[in-house]
Amino acid sequence: MKIAVCIKQVVTRDWPVRIDESAAWVRDGDASFEMNEPDAYALEEGLRLKERHGGEVVVCSAGPARVAQVIREALARGADRAIHVESEDLATADAGVVAEALASAVREESFDLVLTGLQSDDQGFGETGVILAERLGLPHATIIMEIAADGDGAGRIRVKRELEGGWFQWITLPTPALLTIQSGINQLRYATLRGIMAAKRKDVRTVPFASPPPSAWNIVALRVPVKDKQTRFVDGPPEAAAAELVRLLRDEARAL
Amino acid sequence: MPMPSSARPPVLVIAEQRAGSLNPVTWETVAAAQVIGGPISVALAGAGLAGAATELASADVSEVLVVEDPALERYTPDGFIAALAQVIERERPGLVLFPHTYQTRDYAPALASRLGRVLIPDCVGATARDGGLVLLRPMFQGKFVAEVAPAGDGPHCVSFQIGAWRADAAARGGAAATRAVPVTIDAAAIRQRPEEPFQEAKQAVDLTQAERIVAVGRGIKGQEHLPLAQELARSLGAELAASRPICDSGWLPMDRQIGSSGQTVSPKLYVALGISGAIQHLVGMKGARTIVAVNKDADAPIFEVADYGIVGDLFEVVPALVAALGE
Amino acid sequence: MLVVGGGPAGLAAAYRLATRHRTVGGEPPVVAVLEKSREPGAHMLSGAVLDPSALADLMPDWQSRGAPVAVPVTEDRIYFLTERRRIPFPITPPPLRNHGNYVISLNRLVRWLAEQVEAAGVDLFAGFAGAELLYEGDRVVGVRTGDRGVDREGNRKAAFEPGVDIRARVTVLADGVRGNLTKTLVERFGLDDGRLPQVYAVGIKELWEVPSGRLPAGAVIHTMGYPLPHEQFGGGFLYALPDGALSVGFVAGLDYRDPGFDPHTAFQRFKRHPLVADLLAGGEMVRYGAKALPEGGWHAVPRCHVDGALIVGDAAGFLNSMRLKGIHLAMQSGMAAADAALEAVRANDASAERLAQYAALVESGPIRRELHPVRNVHQAFAGGLLPGLLYSGLSLVTGGWWIRDPMPAHAGHTRLRRVAGGEPAAAAVPVDRRLTFDKLTNVHYSGTRHDEDQPSHLLVQDTDICRTRCREEYGNPCTRFCPAAVYEMVDAEAGGQRLQINASNCVHCKTCDIMDPYQIIDWVPPEGGGGPRYEGM
Repeated sequence: MKIAVCIKQVVTRDWPVRIDESAAWVRDGDASFEMNEPDAYALEEGLRLKERHGGEVVVCSAGPARVAQVIREALARGADRAIHVESEDLATADAGVVAEALASAVREESFDLVLTGLQSDDQGFGETGVILAERLGLPHATIIMEIAADGDGAGRIRVKRELEGGWFQWITLPTPALLTIQSGINQLRYATLRGIMAAKRKDVRTVPFASPPPSAWNIVALRVPVKDKQTRFVDGPPEAAAAELVRLLRDEARAL
Repeated sequence: MPMPSSARPPVLVIAEQRAGSLNPVTWETVAAAQVIGGPISVALAGAGLAGAATELASADVSEVLVVEDPALERYTPDGFIAALAQVIERERPGLVLFPHTYQTRDYAPALASRLGRVLIPDCVGATARDGGLVLLRPMFQGKFVAEVAPAGDGPHCVSFQIGAWRADAAARGGAAATRAVPVTIDAAAIRQRPEEPFQEAKQAVDLTQAERIVAVGRGIKGQEHLPLAQELARSLGAELAASRPICDSGWLPMDRQIGSSGQTVSPKLYVALGISGAIQHLVGMKGARTIVAVNKDADAPIFEVADYGIVGDLFEVVPALVAALGE
Repeated sequence: MLVVGGGPAGLAAAYRLATRHRTVGGEPPVVAVLEKSREPGAHMLSGAVLDPSALADLMPDWQSRGAPVAVPVTEDRIYFLTERRRIPFPITPPPLRNHGNYVISLNRLVRWLAEQVEAAGVDLFAGFAGAELLYEGDRVVGVRTGDRGVDREGNRKAAFEPGVDIRARVTVLADGVRGNLTKTLVERFGLDDGRLPQVYAVGIKELWEVPSGRLPAGAVIHTMGYPLPHEQFGGGFLYALPDGALSVGFVAGLDYRDPGFDPHTAFQRFKRHPLVADLLAGGEMVRYGAKALPEGGWHAVPRCHVDGALIVGDAAGFLNSMRLKGIHLAMQSGMAAADAALEAVRANDASAERLAQYAALVESGPIRRELHPVRNVHQAFAGGLLPGLLYSGLSLVTGGWWIRDPMPAHAGHTRLRRVAGGEPAAAAVPVDRRLTFDKLTNVHYSGTRHDEDQPSHLLVQDTDICRTRCREEYGNPCTRFCPAAVYEMVDAEAGGQRLQINASNCVHCKTCDIMDPYQIIDWVPPEGGGGPRYEGM
């Protein structure tokens, strides 16, 4: 099974990011970066499929030079090789542009399966994978919680998709296909010393992103969300305060 | 506030139904469309749609487009993309709005892509600026709000986060016209074969999907007092969660921890009991729509993010809340 | 060859090992570096003003290689502070003159150094802590890395990955101030016999961004006096970087007497002094961190060579507290150790006798040349600021020989005064979360993260002491000296109090291991990759 796993490098989850001078992006010059968490689960799932069916796992990342960090990490965890679509502009690009960049890398090779994380921790579009499927002409399924072990590994794949409110659904689709993977689908492995050593010798193909499509939108401003109203303190004895709070939650906030 | 008429392209709302019954979040999207302004159509795709179409026709919109096809009886991304792409190409709206459901996330990005557009997903608001539309969407896990201006030609495709608009704010006008829109779908070209949905006990608590959360902090004092908070959670239909010290002490499992090194959540309602509001906790929950804080200390930082606050002893306030909710 | 610790000392050693053959010939050795932080540099915290001499010795072309060492010191100022006032020193004492030095971010320097080291062919493993030393008899033969994937109760999680034994002909311990491996090695072989006990300080630092025009890039300010009483060692610093970035820090000797003292509170007080508050007004705190530093000087350096291992950098105590500098000495010691190790391996003899060449290189080289003349400075400060100042001034003239040599000194924790019952008065500083912060908020800005589901890496041998003796005798000073709110006394279910260890707050500064009056706290490395992220610090 030849599997592509698309990974994104994002600002570390709890990093205190700040807005930059343009007021339209964050200051990422001095930020700490890591592999987008859902993508790490996608990678792990890819590695497990390879262990089950044999084949190859290729990580693909679209981003500026710094994404070499997460590519190396993915190789250390066991990916066989990597494709890096490199462009500084990809750091802030919209999902359509990133999907096109990834498509340019994935299209040339015939993968049986393309895996992405469900969404990214930074822009959080949750659509890059689905757009990529469309651009590649692949069938897709999203928010995957399980890939059935009984699949034949060729021709068809059966996956469990998460729906709202505790509902799930099994879907069968022909391969090649694209799946977006939900965090928590598996247990992530650690990179080993051996893996880190081996990663140094693995092939990373860097390709330029020659002709990016136009942006679908512009971020005109980024701001810290401001609470639009003052805290309303509910006073009085506990019973009265509780009754009033319940009333407010029901009638004013409509949270009940 | 409706926008100036010059900025009012036709708006198409994509309704959502399952097994013929309308997903009520559709009304939120109708409300959004009404605020944005312009002639509004609502498209409903599926099979056996008569009831849902009638329900939708009560909205104050121009018309309801009914997209019936046996191939759409069960949702598949391939089927819905094929059908709705035809509808949009025929109707030529300037704006296509979706509720940001799991189903929308599954097909709308590909649908937009097929139309040569990119879905602007998970928006929480819309505002007019310089004659155009500016959308608000959270970024960096709710740390920031981005103002996003669609570029290029329409139709612009936008999905709105559940709860961003109020369903009951959707104006009902009486009787919108209902029109069947024929589509051609090659059932054999649908590649996904879905099975019956099923419910399953969750293996782990997924607080990120919880609508309401009751969270306890140090103010709860001891593990033996947790049932108090549990009772409130039950009354509210909420999940129980905690700040780090509670999970550190082993009083609740670690998958119930909110904040940095725990979960980041944005429920409709977040009730913080005895939580002082250290920044590590705030970063995990300040995206909640409505925040209630109960704390003895009026200066606790939690009140800086709370919408409603009760300064008092949670051991008195919580039973009173349970009683008030029972009425 | 194995280097444990990817700081300036360890990386200088690794680089030297990997490149030495270019000048002395022969085959390059196989060199690996273990670093506990997730990425090289992530646990690096310093002021920092760099004396570039060692970097130039290590890598003469450092400038053309783009070392992030670009902001020359443009002015030096020293103030003596009273609560409201500042008294400038008319002249800058020679050791504090920084002409020719650079204001840097140690995090950036180390990250860059790591790139050079990897490019030189060294295997650098970040995210792996050295958990214990491996021995054959009394000979060090390598290091075992820590297990990963162990839960809070010590059970193996699904992703469990056992520690790996890495064997080496020579192991260079560069595990930093109060390094966990060095600590066991020194204890096992009594390497500090006949030396003065090491004394430490803790440095707390915030990185700020302030409106332009406050301080020119390259400005260096040191302060003495307020908020510390005369008998206490320590002081503040402000180092200006380009674009309004400003390092603000405070160093407090970990040999203070008042168990109610809280270094973090002292730092907040320092920031409220008009000198500092005016510089920070309208600015924003962007990063926080803390780290202990060895201040004992020459006489507190233990024997640094044993069969199969060498100790370098802060782990050994190579820091000039007079100049407030240690990075260059750390690098010098790394280079000296590398030279000794390489010759030993080539001679197929890694015995202590052979590795003693390292000591000889230290004795004959720039380290002794710099440290020996100021060997008594910190001990003199133990007698208070004025005698210390007098002495430090005089030692420059006299070469430091005229007072009893070596001076008597005690481990810092032994100087804590018992409070005889009551709580020591912990004077609070108002926290406005603009200029001053509580510890927990500060910790957030250190980027610290640990896997929550792992055993505590702060081993307290006997927590009964905490709620009984320590509470009585010192009022639980751990709750104050820890700058990351790791230690808390909380109400116990059964009445009374118990110690709660918030291990995941730990910024790896080692203050607790050093300052605990009963010496029952053992800092061991948490799961590899955990800890602060000091980007830009």
